[in-house]
Amino acid sequence: MILESLLAGAVQSGTSVLLTVCGETVSERAGVINLGTEGCMAVGALFAYIVCAETGQPFLAIPVACIAGGLMGLLHAYFVISRKANQLATGLTLMFLGLGLTAFLGRNYVSVSTEGFTKLRIPFLADIPIIGDALFDQDPITYLSYLICAGMCLLLYKTRFGLILRATGEDENVVYAYGADPIRMRYLSVIMGGMLSALGGAQLSIAYTHTWIEGMTGSRGVIGVALVCIAAWNPAKAFIGAYIFGAAQALQMILQQQGLEISSFLLMMIPYVLVLIALFAASIKKNGKMPAELKKVFEAV
Amino acid sequence: MTVNATILSKPQVKNAGKLLAVLAAAALLFAAFLLANGADPLAIYSNMISSTLFTPYGIGEVLIKSTPLILIAVGTCISAKAGLVNVGGEGQFAIGALFSTAAGLSIGDSLPSFMGIVVMMLAGVFGGAIWSGVAGILKIRANMNETLTTLIMNYIAYQIVSYFVFNDLKDPDSFNWPQTAKIAHSLRLPRIAGKINLGILIALAAAVIVWLLVRKTKWGYSLRIVGGNANAALHAGINVEMVQIVAMLLSGALAGLAGAIEIAGVEERLRQTTGVNYGYLGFLAAWMAWNDPAVAVLTAAVIGFLSVSGNVLEISSGLPSSAISILMAIVLFAILWKGKGRKSE
Repeated sequence: MILESLLAGAVQSGTSVLLTVCGETVSERAGVINLGTEGCMAVGALFAYIVCAETGQPFLAIPVACIAGGLMGLLHAYFVISRKANQLATGLTLMFLGLGLTAFLGRNYVSVSTEGFTKLRIPFLADIPIIGDALFDQDPITYLSYLICAGMCLLLYKTRFGLILRATGEDENVVYAYGADPIRMRYLSVIMGGMLSALGGAQLSIAYTHTWIEGMTGSRGVIGVALVCIAAWNPAKAFIGAYIFGAAQALQMILQQQGLEISSFLLMMIPYVLVLIALFAASIKKNGKMPAELKKVFEAV
Repeated sequence: MTVNATILSKPQVKNAGKLLAVLAAAALLFAAFLLANGADPLAIYSNMISSTLFTPYGIGEVLIKSTPLILIAVGTCISAKAGLVNVGGEGQFAIGALFSTAAGLSIGDSLPSFMGIVVMMLAGVFGGAIWSGVAGILKIRANMNETLTTLIMNYIAYQIVSYFVFNDLKDPDSFNWPQTAKIAHSLRLPRIAGKINLGILIALAAAVIVWLLVRKTKWGYSLRIVGGNANAALHAGINVEMVQIVAMLLSGALAGLAGAIEIAGVEERLRQTTGVNYGYLGFLAAWMAWNDPAVAVLTAAVIGFLSVSGNVLEISSGLPSSAISILMAIVLFAILWKGKGRKSE
């Protein structure tokens, strides 16, 4: 019983991170790191919530959130690609902008309630023991995240577009020589990254917590950036870190409900410590190497 | 003569002109935002400037706010010179503040004022250095990306501080407010004028020392070589790992010192929200200053001015405080748009 609710909680809480990891992976594969995913998520969460609260149409909220997140991505892309601004500084600024803007624009929606997406049980699949409920008794955005995750793998590894995108992150000169435009590839992938982070934010506000409060993304965007590294820049592995993070969040809530005498702050530390340990393991194993164009970002500040 | 000629040479003047132009553009953009929200930008701007830069109280507030930003920015410069991206000022500040609060509370008034304050400052330095040192060791021993580790450790530090202000260090007389008791009166940093405490002088001194360290010492020379090209440094017989870990420790130590000064000079007690965002703002100040400790003092002061004038904005326009983050982001984007204007080292 506890195991099942832990797994269900892991998926529920991990979906927003999973989408962010997928988006950030695409962006980093093209050689651009976006520390501002936190801001993109916040924007997605707020705009999805506003649309839901005003129209009552959660399906309308998805494209609106994606457009808002895409615009944030575009902003990042313009600064780091066209203006050649430092990626880390731009990302942090984007985070400030996203958090500030959503706190400002969302101040009148804090006490507004809206239903958003409810759980949609998938017959038969949800009856699989242990994992059935966790995977197939969830909200529509979670189902969408499965498709997006798989789609990103296909896109990156099975299409010509994906090949060029990965090449952009390794050596842009090769891409030029091939006759493709690395700048266009970078723009597209950063915008895509922003859209997916925003979709993750939307899941958080209209499908999982059903509330809007300032700063509700609570570091999920930043954690997403770290998890990209743990997933070795491979969207197929994105779910591992995301669901472990989700499970740690869920575990903390379950333990609290059980009335365990541990401070909630020590429990809230668990996800971050786990991410650190996972980063440690990933770097010891030296699995997957960082895209070469991305390395340059960390070499020159 | 030659010095003057280089300072006033044309590219520099042009660069300063460009900077003013983008800042003016940022001001215009934010004015449009204010107008759209039914506020009067002219009145707000003149209010923001007159009440921060033209009143003793306002100048004091700017200096107080700039103190931690200067220390964190200068610290970030050191690690950046070693080729490390330390985004962990936030956590290093928090752990420094926690350590110095714990030290201050356990000292009480048992020590003479001067000694007690020194112990508090050292505790802050120690706390900050531990926090950055962990990231440094993970970098050189396990090759973990320091940007990510310092970033994640910020959140761990926040939880640790929260734990202590809700549990072991909670003030029993605070009616359940999550905050520690106040430190003893004798442990407060002496004030130099009005509310301005000694901290600003410590921060300026630290900036000078770091500038000398980086520019004028042998260690600073190897630091710059390591940051410029780690392979070349290895071939030159420099112990790259040692230089990097020391740079990281110094960087965190300064952020921790900022935390200690914030407690002993301003807040007098630790809360969950003590110094939130200082770390990120300090990082951005260092970045804006091309990681030059001398310039970082100026950029930190500019960011300090913006945050203080943000409070004025809140009071005079009735807009929520989140409007400040928007103003800050617009200004930072304007500077990012302009770019560095000169080649970084």
